[in-house]
Amino acid sequence: MIATEKDLKTHTMMLDGEAVSFTEGETIYEVAQRVKTDIPTLCYDQRLEAFGGCRLCVVEVEGQRLPVASCTTKATPGMVVRTSTATLEKHRKTLLEMVASENREIDVDPLRGYAAQELATLVDRYDARGGRFRGKRSGATREDDDNPFILRDYDLCISCYRCVRVCAEQEGDHAISVMNRGFETQITVEFEGLLKDSACTFCGQCVQTCPTGALADKKALRFAELPGAIEKTRTICAYCGVGCSVDVLTKGDTMVGIQPAMDGPANHGALCVKGQFAYDFVQHPDRLKTPLVRGDDGKLHEADWDTALDRAAEGLRRVVDQHGRHAVYAVASGRAPSEAAYAVQKLMRAGWGTNHIDNCSRA
Amino acid sequence: MTSPTDQELIERWRHEPAPLLPLLHAFHDRDGYLSDEALRAVARGLKIPLAELFGDVTFYHHFERDPSRTNAPRVCTGPVCRYQGGPEILAALEKDGATPMPCAGRCDDPVPVLRGGHALAGTAADSLRAHLSPLPPPNPGSHEECVFSAIREPGRARLDGYRRTGGYEALTKAVTELQPADLIHLVTENGLAGRGGAGFPTGTKWQAVADAAAHPKTVVCNADEGEPGCFKDRAILCHDPHAVLEGMTLAAYATGATRGFVYLRYEYPEAFRVLQHAIHEAEQAGLLGGSILGTDFAFHVHLRRGAGAYICGEEGSLLNSLEGKHPFPRNRPPFPVTHGYENLPTVVNNVETLAAAVQLIRRGGKWYRNLGMNGHAGTKVISLSGDIRRPGNYEVPIGLPLKTLLYEWAGGPFEGREIQAVTMAGLSGGFLAADDLEVTLDEPGIRAKGSFLGAGGIMVFDSTRDMIAVAHEAMSFFAHESCGKCFPCRIGTQRLTERLAGEAGPTELSAWIDEVSDLGETMKAVSACGLGLAAPLITESLLKYFPERVAQHVQA
Ligand SMILES: Cc1cc2nc3c(=O)[nH]c(=O)nc-3n(C[C@H](O)[C@H](O)[C@H](O)COP(=O)(O)O)c2cc1C
Ligand code: SF4
Ligand code: SF4
Ligand code: SF4
Ligand code: FES
Repeated sequence: MIATEKDLKTHTMMLDGEAVSFTEGETIYEVAQRVKTDIPTLCYDQRLEAFGGCRLCVVEVEGQRLPVASCTTKATPGMVVRTSTATLEKHRKTLLEMVASENREIDVDPLRGYAAQELATLVDRYDARGGRFRGKRSGATREDDDNPFILRDYDLCISCYRCVRVCAEQEGDHAISVMNRGFETQITVEFEGLLKDSACTFCGQCVQTCPTGALADKKALRFAELPGAIEKTRTICAYCGVGCSVDVLTKGDTMVGIQPAMDGPANHGALCVKGQFAYDFVQHPDRLKTPLVRGDDGKLHEADWDTALDRAAEGLRRVVDQHGRHAVYAVASGRAPSEAAYAVQKLMRAGWGTNHIDNCSRA
Repeated sequence: MTSPTDQELIERWRHEPAPLLPLLHAFHDRDGYLSDEALRAVARGLKIPLAELFGDVTFYHHFERDPSRTNAPRVCTGPVCRYQGGPEILAALEKDGATPMPCAGRCDDPVPVLRGGHALAGTAADSLRAHLSPLPPPNPGSHEECVFSAIREPGRARLDGYRRTGGYEALTKAVTELQPADLIHLVTENGLAGRGGAGFPTGTKWQAVADAAAHPKTVVCNADEGEPGCFKDRAILCHDPHAVLEGMTLAAYATGATRGFVYLRYEYPEAFRVLQHAIHEAEQAGLLGGSILGTDFAFHVHLRRGAGAYICGEEGSLLNSLEGKHPFPRNRPPFPVTHGYENLPTVVNNVETLAAAVQLIRRGGKWYRNLGMNGHAGTKVISLSGDIRRPGNYEVPIGLPLKTLLYEWAGGPFEGREIQAVTMAGLSGGFLAADDLEVTLDEPGIRAKGSFLGAGGIMVFDSTRDMIAVAHEAMSFFAHESCGKCFPCRIGTQRLTERLAGEAGPTELSAWIDEVSDLGETMKAVSACGLGLAAPLITESLLKYFPERVAQHVQA
């Protein structure tokens, strides 16, 4: 939790020679972020409990023999912290050379996921592409998992466990876990099966937190070869009333994917399977763009809205005339906002005089 | 007798504290492996997500998942056993599906083989038999012992024998004459420090738990003894189990703890049975349980077995393991004294620490302090093994010269050979060799040489051993046991192992040394727990004492 201005009176510490104030409970990393001191990380996702695995965020604390992980260490009054000494920067470079050495590739398509280029960016910043520490690679890609949404390209995995933690802590699904140990560690579901046979709901959160592209958005990758820069447009998911903020990714006029907005007030980077993956209808050739009305020939014909609404009203009235007011029934779409749902029930109750009103949301 | 149903097993354990490991062992004992159905039943019964349970089970190497491999033997190929017949036994038992296991804590009586929950030992496949875990050799020095002072007494492992030889005197004295604060004071003032590796002052730890506000509090006896070359806790557990229980009870009295666990490594089935019996005896005699020695002091002890993971000896990992979580070490602070078992105040103490506390309290602080040499307090049990005439557990006064132990007490190397190097802290302290063998057995002395005494395992390698091979074996142990939580250790132990095996890495000496040193420097500074912090001492000391061997290795 980032503290607000008015809390910042409580204590003081020294961060790279500057006195900074902090509130009890803040970690060194949180304090540093707040005052715009950049500390590199790979296992950190601010929505998750700090894990302390990548060790890139280590800082020197006066009086401590060894550097400490700033993501897991709480700030204390009077603490003197240095975030980027030559020794620390050397450790960081070595760590990045180490992870680079276990990976098939570092440069991945940004369409793979929201955080997919975190590793590549750091590797460049630390000039850690020298090919040191060569040896066995870790992680085995699951080519057999042919689910339509999530690529499980574990050759690229660096065992930061953000995916496992987001699935448990944010999504509450506990669908994936850590199997084996040490260099043999592998992200898995129960019995090394397929995602579709597991507790996975295909919410895609694991994809979006993965810092290497090891978990990737298969649907977006269909457009990897499409030329053009990726543009992001902030909007709200249209599927339900929660109002998750999303960034729609486009290349030219083509919609190529959706990423959750990490700062979305309703969702903090979370989406469900529909918001994340179910967007093909937008540019589907079968998509309806005008109302259709059945003609005397029994076929559907394009029509304007007035014609279509008149036809609907006629039909409903005929049913009520013949069978009474309780013969009609309305189901409001779960995608409709409250105002529209309200209007539907008003139409049924005040307009037709029946309580036969329902909503399709059953989750 | 029909075997219990899934539901019966679950009902047996569901309401017990720390139920996951014993429940998994119950299924494993019943079926000889853990089937998918068993894991589904356990996940349902204990309400653990199935994926998590599956991941956890794969962490522990003694849980078999393959039904065709039930009761397949596991053969120790640790640093000592690999030169005492381990690989040959493994080859001979291959037809039964034998697999290697890391040091199983019987380096004084090689080679241990586990089969269907029983421990056998022998130096060839046809001479394997079940025999009692060796006692410490007779005290060779003129120095008084502390934890071993009565361990060789006949019947000491049973309650009547224990009581006949001074057992439960300390507890009786504490409960009837002393306040908890007196106990803590006694332990603090007389310099008892942890014997599990880290050497933390025991009194300070007890005080912190006593001071912590939250309840209930817990005492955990760390009997996971997974460090290669360490087998001292095994001797205490098998031959003096009541000393451990009495020590735990004293710690509970001092801190206000009401529940206790012994976390025992799987490789000690004999100790498991001995402890089970001892707990039962103590409960029957009113020395454990609801009303200890007729007072209102209550303390319940539960015995839990690990399942083959060295890291579960690290206290955070141990606590996660007990709680049924993935056994990664925990971030510190907070420490177990405030956030231990179930995030409540917890003492975690090593077997030897607890056994020493009993004697300290029974015989008095002055007596204990004076056991050490050159101003050091107390004693340390050293597990000595490898290329030495009389391997075994020796209780030395802290401050004893290493060479006195090696040459006078243990008879020195075999005829015509010389000591080339010894390990410290089991493997975690790396090697000492050459002039640095002139060291006294105390933390300041050994730390001055860049190593540490730790849990006190010393393995001897004589001039016939190839130190590159020894170092490779050591590093592959750390790679095998690295939990995978943090980058420097997960990747570093692997890369160092590959370089010692000659499988990867530069072929030019200075580049090789650069890589190995850079890996080591980062592991030593920023690893998340003691395993990764210590592992590079192996390569560091190899480079320090055997630079020519390294050069030959790299250029070959
Ligand atoms: C990798 C690793 C393995 C450890 N294994 C053991 C062990 O098997 N037994 C033990 O008592 N302590 C072990 N420790 C030390 C424990 O974390 C802890 O410090 C100790 O149990 C505390 O007890 P003490 O203060 O009585 O020594 C290990 C530490 C590390 C880092
Ligand atoms: S898609 Fe969602 S539910 Fe499935 S594994 Fe990823 S985070 Fe868990
Ligand atoms: S798949 Fe991605 S998020 Fe998951 S552990 Fe690997 S690198 Fe981290
Ligand atoms: S140092 Fe090794 S054993 Fe310890 S937390 Fe890191 S990976 Fe795990
Ligand atoms: S961000 Fe702190 S260890 Fe990874």
